[in-house]
Amino acid sequence: VLTLAPLVSGVIARGEAIVQQRTGPRVRQPYFDIVKLLGKETVLPGPAGFLFRAAPYVSFAGYATVPLLIPVLTTYGLPLGYMGDILGGGLILGGAGFAISIAAIDSGSPYAQLGSSRLRTFGALNEPTVIFVVFVVALTTHTDLPYVLGATLRASTVEVVRPSHLLIIAAFFMLVLNETGRIPVGSHGGTLEFGQIDEGRVSEHSGPGLAFLRWGSSVKQLVLYTIFANVLLAPWGLASSGRLDLVVVAIALLAGKALAIGVVVIVIECSFAKLRLYKLPEFTVSSFMLAVLAVVIFLFQPGFGDLRLTVFGAAATVTAVFVLLLELGMLRSQDVWEQLGLYAVGSAVVAALAIATAASGHGNGSLYILAAVTIALKALLFPIGIRFVLRRLEADPRVPSTIGVPSALLIAVALAAFAFVVIRPIHIGTIAALPLSALPVAVGGVLVAFLLMVLRPYAPSQLLGFLILENAVSVASLVIAPGLPIILALLLLFDLLIGVLVFVVLVQYLAIERTAVRTDMLDRLTG
Amino acid sequence: MSWALIALGLVPLIAAALSLTCDWRLARAATAVAGLVSLGLAIAVAIAVEHGRTLQAADGWVRLDSLGAVFLLATGLLYAVAGVYSVGYLHADEQTRDFARFARRYFALLNLFGWSMLLVPLAADFGTLWVTVELTTVISALLVATDRTDAALEASWKYVLIASSGLGIALLAIIVLYATGTHALGDAYLPRFARLIAHAHGSSIDAVRLAFVLAVVGFGTKVGFVPMHTWLPDAHSEAPAPVSALLSGSLLAGAFYAILRFFQVAVAAGERSFAEHVLIVFGALSLIVASLFVLRQSNYKRLLAYSSIEHMGVIALGIGFGAPLAVAGALLHVITHASAKGLAFFGAGSLLRGYDTKEIAEVTGAGTAMPWTGPMFLAAALALCGLPLSGVFRSEFQIVCGGFAEPQYVGVTLLLVFVNLAFFGILWHAGRMVLTPPAGSGVARGEASAWLVAGMLGCLFVVIALGVHLPGDLSALLTNAGHRLASPAR
Repeated sequence: VLTLAPLVSGVIARGEAIVQQRTGPRVRQPYFDIVKLLGKETVLPGPAGFLFRAAPYVSFAGYATVPLLIPVLTTYGLPLGYMGDILGGGLILGGAGFAISIAAIDSGSPYAQLGSSRLRTFGALNEPTVIFVVFVVALTTHTDLPYVLGATLRASTVEVVRPSHLLIIAAFFMLVLNETGRIPVGSHGGTLEFGQIDEGRVSEHSGPGLAFLRWGSSVKQLVLYTIFANVLLAPWGLASSGRLDLVVVAIALLAGKALAIGVVVIVIECSFAKLRLYKLPEFTVSSFMLAVLAVVIFLFQPGFGDLRLTVFGAAATVTAVFVLLLELGMLRSQDVWEQLGLYAVGSAVVAALAIATAASGHGNGSLYILAAVTIALKALLFPIGIRFVLRRLEADPRVPSTIGVPSALLIAVALAAFAFVVIRPIHIGTIAALPLSALPVAVGGVLVAFLLMVLRPYAPSQLLGFLILENAVSVASLVIAPGLPIILALLLLFDLLIGVLVFVVLVQYLAIERTAVRTDMLDRLTG
Repeated sequence: MSWALIALGLVPLIAAALSLTCDWRLARAATAVAGLVSLGLAIAVAIAVEHGRTLQAADGWVRLDSLGAVFLLATGLLYAVAGVYSVGYLHADEQTRDFARFARRYFALLNLFGWSMLLVPLAADFGTLWVTVELTTVISALLVATDRTDAALEASWKYVLIASSGLGIALLAIIVLYATGTHALGDAYLPRFARLIAHAHGSSIDAVRLAFVLAVVGFGTKVGFVPMHTWLPDAHSEAPAPVSALLSGSLLAGAFYAILRFFQVAVAAGERSFAEHVLIVFGALSLIVASLFVLRQSNYKRLLAYSSIEHMGVIALGIGFGAPLAVAGALLHVITHASAKGLAFFGAGSLLRGYDTKEIAEVTGAGTAMPWTGPMFLAAALALCGLPLSGVFRSEFQIVCGGFAEPQYVGVTLLLVFVNLAFFGILWHAGRMVLTPPAGSGVARGEASAWLVAGMLGCLFVVIALGVHLPGDLSALLTNAGHRLASPAR
């Protein structure tokens, strides 16, 4: 891990540069940096004491210990594996971060202190997320040793696609982004002081101290990626014994997984802007909410009987959760173009579910037609058409919510949990248990769509609320009624088309008569 | 007779096409003729199915039984008189600029609206049913917005948004129902009413209950059940008078018809008392809230709109009571309410043309200023309150008797108290508008157009005729439809 970590950092930096059409640093650059820094002398700031000098080594030791506790390469615990559970690992990571923060304060530099205080402020919100993630792990496995969770997932793959587990994955991924200081939270390699959180703290260090801090931070990044990949997402391909060939395969796979995550991170870094600083709590709160929802869902998930893994079931739950997450994203978004984009992605996912359903032998071939029509209408025609109309009307793209994002998300999570409580006692037909667990998620999606309509007093957003409502219903229909005759499904879509046309006509009327597409001005008719 | 079903689906479409392409005078005539032809066809097919026959056409996609025929009659009646009345209603605008375009669009939409509502009782499966109900929503939303005033746009936006969201829930209900059917019917099947009803026995009770509640909430949004009724007074008060009449008498009933199809499945699955309780709760709630709102209205079209909510509550109670007499009364109430509310909205439209205001306080002395409209508006108010001689009296009386026979004392007591409260409210307001001495000379005397009077007279005739004597054919139809609700599997 220690040797691999800088490589991952280097690859991400290089990949990002390539996407941004720069040449970028060499992949091995982090190694050179570390070696170079090790050879330099240390310059201490005036007020610094022993804490400042000790911090790099303490934190590096901390980061280097954690890999012993988590399944990096092997399925069985290393000799020390049972010394600490996930919380223990978290504690050590936190302790290492704490040492750096203390050192930053000790340095007396305002930048370093600012970075440190920012990190603490936002980091405080991360801890409840970690705790709730651990709750779900504990509920699933009755322990919180990372090895055991990995083993449980290997034993029954079906656990991965349970809605609660999918939500945990999403929450933890947001946490990883946050903890490693990636966009949209911080900018990793940036030199601009305003954007710095993680980097700000180390700005006073130099020489070998800085080398260890850099190295330590890339180790931390890899450790988090490893937990994400080997514990939560895909705990396969680990060496089950100490044989050399297995270990080599495991190393290669670990590198592959870490790089795959790195690619996702690159895509996110390059396609989103950094959030404004005071928006950051929204981000952490979102990940916390997802973790809470996961726990609630786990507690209330219906006893549908035996869970058997099928492609259809997995696709159904993944799609349902994904659509729900996109809806939450729309709830957070304050920009109508962004909402349109999210809607288009959601529709494409629904179409993908239709294809997966047909491919796995449920329903019949006509679902391919349905998928094609879905993509044509909902992923292309509607978003592009609505965008065109709004552009022509020169509508203001900002659609602020009437209440704050965290409260909106709280309500949304409560609604989604409510859906689970309601659906729980209901038994439907002969559908297998796994796809059925996607049904409450879809119903939750319907409720969240209502919430979006209520919270946005803007005609385009309300129209989109109606459309995502329809998307959630589509997921439900694919899940519990995949055999619905194609002619009916097409009729429904045709009806939707007419409905959207009428909506658009009305939006135009509104824009022409009222010079705005706000709907909270519509308050004449009461009583 | 099945050719008549196809004809019912074609005639309004042809009229709509003519309205779009031809001169507005031809559009006007085509609309009136199409309405009358549709009414004739509706009566013909209703007579054909009155003893329990089922008509089918187009490979089983189009289907009509006695239950659907009741609603088909209500729609046919209102479509016909609204077509005639529209001729007079637009008369006043003829001098305005762009009238020709406006009139063509209006008549085309009116025909499409009538077409979509005629299709609702002709649907043979739950999917098509949902599609047709949603069609009525979107088309009528455009009609509500015809006037293009601020208030009309507001009403239209609220309407289409709330009603469409409600129908989203209804779609969920249909999907849940479909899933329960997979047990007996296999993975892929058409959710035809008859098939689902025949196989309802033995399907999951929880799922059927869930589907029914979702359907009552979803379609109930369009019926105007409290608390999902908020769009209704706005849309009814801002739409042109003929459209208001169609909305109130036909569109609400059409959505209620969809609920009745779910009711049938619930009964067939052995969940009759559960379904009845749900309907009683929603019906009583709507009745209570609406009658209280009737008392404090200052806008006479909104007054009528709340009265519609009240009457939908009465119908729901009648079905919920479950006695055969009450069920037949509730179905009769669909028709009597359509005719009485048509009359009332037409009267309101004429008053609006005469006085140019919707405020109750500003309309005085209508009895002398408008020699036809005034008395007929008062007659409509009396009929809506359920005074003897009007058909509404007969249907409400049947519902009350049925409730006592069941016995459902709580429901009947609520019904009597709040219907009387609404009676008082409507009569108080209508009396002030019609029976007071006329104020000032600003109001032109006389009627705007003979066509307005003709439309109203048609409705008045039906209201009184149904009150005085119930035709044997209609009574057979209602009884048969009641049987279908009570024991759908037979």
